[in-house]
Amino acid sequence: MALKSLQYNQHTFDISYEILNPEATVDLIILPGWGSNKELMKNSFGAYMDTFRHIYIDLPGFGNSTSGVALETKDYARIVELFMIHINASKDIILGHSFGGKVALLLEPKVLVLVGSTGIMVPKPIKIKLKIAIYKLFKLFGLTKFRSLFVAEDAKSLSEPMYQTFKNVIDEDLSEKFSSSDAKTLLCWGDKDTATPLSIAHKMQKLLKDSALKIYDGDHYFFMNHAKEVSDAIKSIFLKTLEHK
Amino acid sequence: MKLTILFGGASFEHEISIVSAITLKEKLAGYELSFIFCDQDHRFYLIDSSKMKANTFSRGEHKGMSQVSLTNGYFEKKGMFSSTKHAGVVLNLIHGADGEDGTIASLLDFFDIKYIGPRIDASVFSYDKRYTKWLCEAKKIKTIEYEVLSSNEHKNINIKYPIIVKPARLGSSIGVSIVKEESELDYALDVAFEFDKSVIIEPFMCGIKEYNLAGFMAKGEFYFSIVEEPQKNEFLDFEKKYMDFSRSGSVEKAELSPAIEAKLKSTFEKIYENLFEGALIRCDFFVLNSEVYLNEVNPIPGSMANYLFDDFKSSLELLASSLPTQRRAKTNYDYIHSISKAKGK
Repeated sequence: MALKSLQYNQHTFDISYEILNPEATVDLIILPGWGSNKELMKNSFGAYMDTFRHIYIDLPGFGNSTSGVALETKDYARIVELFMIHINASKDIILGHSFGGKVALLLEPKVLVLVGSTGIMVPKPIKIKLKIAIYKLFKLFGLTKFRSLFVAEDAKSLSEPMYQTFKNVIDEDLSEKFSSSDAKTLLCWGDKDTATPLSIAHKMQKLLKDSALKIYDGDHYFFMNHAKEVSDAIKSIFLKTLEHK
Repeated sequence: MKLTILFGGASFEHEISIVSAITLKEKLAGYELSFIFCDQDHRFYLIDSSKMKANTFSRGEHKGMSQVSLTNGYFEKKGMFSSTKHAGVVLNLIHGADGEDGTIASLLDFFDIKYIGPRIDASVFSYDKRYTKWLCEAKKIKTIEYEVLSSNEHKNINIKYPIIVKPARLGSSIGVSIVKEESELDYALDVAFEFDKSVIIEPFMCGIKEYNLAGFMAKGEFYFSIVEEPQKNEFLDFEKKYMDFSRSGSVEKAELSPAIEAKLKSTFEKIYENLFEGALIRCDFFVLNSEVYLNEVNPIPGSMANYLFDDFKSSLELLASSLPTQRRAKTNYDYIHSISKAKGK
């Protein structure tokens, strides 16, 4: 683990990170999902792809990285970009899980690996729609103290700025960014993913110019059991970028 | 012997302290031991001896056990109608922050509790590697040349590569790296800065010999452990050192000349005297061309370096019977009385 302090928009962010295979020349940046951390990612991928320099980053506000202000997804991308300049990293391959996938997309890497990524809105399940409708009704009658029964699992126990950040990033559609992306993209998905259902991957594939979809057995965290297969897929897609030259 | 083992603490070495305490429980079997755990929020819990397992703490089971607090002379368990005393000598086994930085020493001194461990001033000089260098300078003890870097100030390093980068205030090799060339420096510094804003840089010398010696002073005399040459591939990384903390077997005595051994012991005495009384410490030395250099002082070594002592139990008992007593200023209000008298009141 290591810690670097950055200044962004007059605020200081301590970014906690870890580098594996420091002597490798191709960079693989790995961004965890919302509320997750670099250790979870490292435990999955750390043992594989040793020809890449792995750079595991805790996104601001999660793991050991700090954030005292509300951020938007594009701020996350700028902060990661700034951090990459500091450690002299290039955008060869960026892997993002869930919310990290959205950030990875905005960073415009050469090879983009989206693992159960967010970024495209799909209709909310009827259960959630109902929950929201009921809460709005409650609010009308001033019954906001029942909020904790309704608030999303991901938003519970968040600090004030992080709750604002959550609201900033949650209902966000980046369809245009997907359409304009030139990255060679690998989509990896769990077939039983309920957080980011497989239909999202299909939509992304339609929008992206150059993408491949690999489906694995499992939920939103399927990669923890399929790290080797995902790693092999990343290696082969990276090799393809070399062929073009 | 009755002994209260105090462990845990809000420190990067919290978990190591738990491992140390569990190891000592086995090493000191037969003693009347009680265990007091300090959690990360500075609450003290009395831990049932049968629950002294690593999982107890990682699962948070200690939270269901009785809390204790400090009061004059002892730890106290307050019940609904009564309270139970936990008097007796405390063994301060909190590594790193809290335990070795003087915080626990201050608490125990303040509440007049007898303890094995470094006093406040000894803690200050051994906890921060920069101050250890200053102490050595004052006591004419050789140390390796060094430079200090801080996270909020950039400056060039004059020491030639390879170098070793260490957080100023951390033991157990946490955050330590060897840097072979300048391109690796930035990351090594960030690794160290995760733990401390100040970093010490020393030349990394291949082929330098490393020796550890533990000991203490009791009843005016020094007692030493055997000298150990720690195993190292390049240097002890955290995982190796961590394993080190649960060590309970014995080690081979290092092969070294009687002259060097005598030099190690006299250097140990020099550093210990009038500062570390009451503590069992381990000094880590370097030897190069028959010169002895002090590397660092561990005033609370992992599992009290039990594996270096032939008879650890009686060594600890001897130390416990010879703890320094505090001198506290007596207040009898003479001055106020005399003024009052002079004023005729």
